[in-house]
Amino acid sequence: MLSFLTARQNGVDGPIRLRRAESTRRVLSLELNHDRDVARVHGNGVNTIDIEAIEGRYMLSGGSDGVIVVYDLENNSKKPQYTCKAICTVGRSSRHVHKFSVETVQWYPHDTGMFISSSFDKTMKVWDTETLKPAEVFQFEGNVYCHHMSPLARKHALIAVGTKDPKVQLCDLKSGSRSHVLQGHKGEVLSVRWSPRYEHILATASADSRVRVWDVRRASGSLFNLDQHNGDKSKASSEAVNAAHDGRVNGLCFTYDGLYLLTTGTDDRVRLWNSATGENTLVNYGKVVNESRKGLKFSVSKGCSPEFMFVPSGSSVAMYAVHTGELVTMLNGHYNSVDCCEFHPDYQELYSGGKDCNILAWVPLLRHPDVEDEGSTAASQSAAQSAVNPAFEDAWSSSDED
Amino acid sequence: MDGAKRDELSNLVEELTTSGNADLNPSKMKAVKKICKLSNVYIDHFYHLIMSQLSQDHCQIRLSAFQMASEIFSRSHHFRLLLVADLQHFLELTMETDTEQPLPPPKEIARKLRRLAVQTLQSWQGTYGDAYKKLVVGYHFLKKVKKVDFEDVDARTLAERRRQEEKQERLRRIYIEKMDKAKQEMEETCSEIEKNLTELNSCMDLLMPTLSNFHLCDLEPLPNSAHPVDDIKIRSSSVSGHELNADRKEIGYKDMKLEEDEEEGRSDWEEEVPDENVALRSAGLLSHKYSLELNVPTEMKLQETDDNEAVINTMRDLHRLLTTKHRPAVQSWIQVFTKVGDEHLLRRALDYKSSVDTALKRHEGLHICYRSRQRRVVRADDTDDEDFEEVPEKEGYEPHIPAHLRAEYGLEPLPSTSFSVAFQMHPQPDEKPSISRAANAPATISASHRRRIREEEQDPTCAAATLKVLKKSLQQSASSSSACAGLEQGQGTTGTAEQQAEDTGGQKAIAPVVPFGLDLFYWGEEQPSSGKIIKSASQHQFWVPHEMEEEVENEELSAQGKSRYITFAGSFQPVQHTCRAPMPSGTLCQRQDRVKCPFHGLIIPRDECGNPTNPEDAAHMMEEKRKKREQQPDWQDTELMREIEAATGEDLGSSRSYGKGKMGKGSKGKGKKMKYPNLTDLKQSSNTSRFRLEKKVFNKSSMRRVTEVMNKMDRKKHDKFSNQFNYALN
Repeated sequence: MLSFLTARQNGVDGPIRLRRAESTRRVLSLELNHDRDVARVHGNGVNTIDIEAIEGRYMLSGGSDGVIVVYDLENNSKKPQYTCKAICTVGRSSRHVHKFSVETVQWYPHDTGMFISSSFDKTMKVWDTETLKPAEVFQFEGNVYCHHMSPLARKHALIAVGTKDPKVQLCDLKSGSRSHVLQGHKGEVLSVRWSPRYEHILATASADSRVRVWDVRRASGSLFNLDQHNGDKSKASSEAVNAAHDGRVNGLCFTYDGLYLLTTGTDDRVRLWNSATGENTLVNYGKVVNESRKGLKFSVSKGCSPEFMFVPSGSSVAMYAVHTGELVTMLNGHYNSVDCCEFHPDYQELYSGGKDCNILAWVPLLRHPDVEDEGSTAASQSAAQSAVNPAFEDAWSSSDED
Repeated sequence: MDGAKRDELSNLVEELTTSGNADLNPSKMKAVKKICKLSNVYIDHFYHLIMSQLSQDHCQIRLSAFQMASEIFSRSHHFRLLLVADLQHFLELTMETDTEQPLPPPKEIARKLRRLAVQTLQSWQGTYGDAYKKLVVGYHFLKKVKKVDFEDVDARTLAERRRQEEKQERLRRIYIEKMDKAKQEMEETCSEIEKNLTELNSCMDLLMPTLSNFHLCDLEPLPNSAHPVDDIKIRSSSVSGHELNADRKEIGYKDMKLEEDEEEGRSDWEEEVPDENVALRSAGLLSHKYSLELNVPTEMKLQETDDNEAVINTMRDLHRLLTTKHRPAVQSWIQVFTKVGDEHLLRRALDYKSSVDTALKRHEGLHICYRSRQRRVVRADDTDDEDFEEVPEKEGYEPHIPAHLRAEYGLEPLPSTSFSVAFQMHPQPDEKPSISRAANAPATISASHRRRIREEEQDPTCAAATLKVLKKSLQQSASSSSACAGLEQGQGTTGTAEQQAEDTGGQKAIAPVVPFGLDLFYWGEEQPSSGKIIKSASQHQFWVPHEMEEEVENEELSAQGKSRYITFAGSFQPVQHTCRAPMPSGTLCQRQDRVKCPFHGLIIPRDECGNPTNPEDAAHMMEEKRKKREQQPDWQDTELMREIEAATGEDLGSSRSYGKGKMGKGSKGKGKKMKYPNLTDLKQSSNTSRFRLEKKVFNKSSMRRVTEVMNKMDRKKHDKFSNQFNYALN
């Protein structure tokens, strides 16, 4: 740290280096911290989480009982201990609440005054954050598994919606109507993602184990399929041609630069694809337990020198290095399977929600004061800490002495 | 890290967890703590040991391991960190948070473990909740998601509670169904019950009128309603007598009926009493100077007579109906309604019950003496006198009235058999003249005359009474002698069954009842075709059978027709002695078996304490006892005991007896000692007949054989010539 600081001071390094090093360190020290808590509002499993990108302050969560909650993540209390308060909720008592499980929530990428939620009650609602009333309701024929809105689109305001129907629908917020249909999948569409690099590029994952990449300006069809064997016919059985996974593909995530695409499937695999060519990079992540029948939300870190991926694996969150496939750590804390996790790019925090109704905040461990500085202060510090928390002390009774 | 210490720790953990005791051995636990205290390295090792023991499929091991874990948890921060880091797994193993992984048997211990785990977790949360985030999360998870009620001592999980609720719901549904049924039944039968009740009540009103009834129908005499007069005392104060008399009249005791002796069952004393004088006379009072004090007992005693027979019969039927049918029905309704809690219906049912009960009580209060139900012979000349009635024949039976009662009734009577015979209007021409007959009055005797005679006879001051006593004694001796004569006669003659039957009944009582057979049918006659087998000749026109004897005499058969076997078992002699073997309660066995007591074996002479008096008996018993002790008592069904042990987790000693049995059989058992003798053996609990069968049926080799055969059959089907017999065979 000090070396980075001096290097920065001397102007040897660019500002990005220090930032990257520090954020990497922070990500690596993520842990379930007592200092950060998220208010328990959900009475049922948490399906989806989204953190807005404008201020990085508000977090949305959708539960399987149809409840949507908005949290304030910012700690203004000037104390390390902080419980994220629920600012507002669309609870069961609300008239506009989703009847069934909310599958996806997303903030409007350019403003916190609006968010979009989709649910198993076959609707997608566009909410006004102030009044907590839906400004627009899109009705579909089947359960809505997912939707996504391009985070950088300036030229369009399309929401891609994946439903039980194999056709991917594009809803235009400008006109409030469904403008496009993308045909090509044969199973229900479990995940859709816009590329964070090109505003017209869309990736969709389906239960037919295909992942298709589309250019929404093209009417004829998808750009390409992701093929796990990279077109090597000899390896693929006749059915599994062009299949990204051997089971259903239920998770999609672009890296922040948009160059790579990560997919998860029920074959307990995670694959990393070159999003420009659709080539399987063949990074081996090992087994990632994935039994979800619905879409799985996972995320990648931003601004670290090796990028990290956070993917739910059973009742824990696995942290992998994206490009090497190395398992960095398992974040154990949930008592039931984890459905979603969201990385906070500004503070390097991770929020995860699972079927045990908890949203857990994984916060970087604070850097301990360096021992080299002053030995005495460190000692006093640790003493102070143990004084604060006597539970950390050992309590061997004197009777055990003999 | 010291290898020796490490091994010692491992040994200690293993010993403690496999001890099978509910509590940990404190000295060993202290040793464990001492080692753990040395360094965190030992705690790491200890943690791994505990987790591996916790994942054993035996709840006793898990319980002990959990207890050890909680001991160390409260002491070591390092251990806390380790445990909390893997709290999910820990909870799965101790509280079955995962429904896929239930706690292993024994069930009782599993329940105990879960209860302990819930309590411990709560206390941990209280003390360490602030410091260990995951502990709090886990606690909330249990509380919110698994719905573990930490206040609930039984720590029932959500599933359990739901099961309970479902059960209750099912019960409720059943109750409601029952209630509907009962309601419907009640609707259907209530009218019947009411009808029966009114009928019964009116019957009882007829038999025993209440005061209000009298005021309404004052002068209606109630025939045969018998008001027992137990005690008649004659006192010399006339005034009270008058009063009493007047009193009686007022309340309508007009017809005073003195209770007759029950055997005769006649009501010949009931008479309309027109005026007081006659009443006095019939009461045996000479003047008004006597006062008659009647102690009317509050409890009634009703005698069934011919006149009230119809009423009583009806009443009897109704009573039976009410007790056997309606009352249980009402009772069951009340049960059902109380369970369901329908107040209105319950009240109605209770009303019915109370009314039925009062009616029954009233009926009981009447104390009706029913006559024996055998039908009487209908008398031919019923016109003769209504006062004298036919009584059922009671041969050889003398009605007996206790002497003290006789005095009370003022009857010196002895309504001897002479009367009954006299009024038995069946003149028998061939009957021998008997003394009793000679003493009888002729059948045509007038009613009034007869009554006078009777009255005279009942007056102890009359000569007639003394005469009667004399007659009586004479007749008794005569009847016995005639019985003897009749017996001789009956044995001497044959084929005169009718006559025999009509003869005096004393013989009948003596005569043995034997099943009717051929020998009796042909008694004293030559049996025509006894023992002969007749073969019919063939009547075929062409077939002529071989010449043969048409009649075959079978000696056996003929002998059967003439002889009779009578088994003589001797007369029954009641057993006098008791078993008198000492019993665990300290008393002696009171069974009276002839030879052998089913509990204590052969009955032998014993002294007061129940010890055998004969020394060889005592020795024999000692021998027996020793043998029994060696053997496993047969009530100890090892299989059952094992099941109980598995369920309760208590050692009843099944394994010991099992092992002994095995050794006794000399089976090949390798004598491999159980690894942990103190734990409840789970495998043995699975040693049931079903399990053994399963093992045999689903055996791998047998399964393979079956599949082979089936495959062969399948292949045959696809063979080209399988439908041709010479190919089909091979």
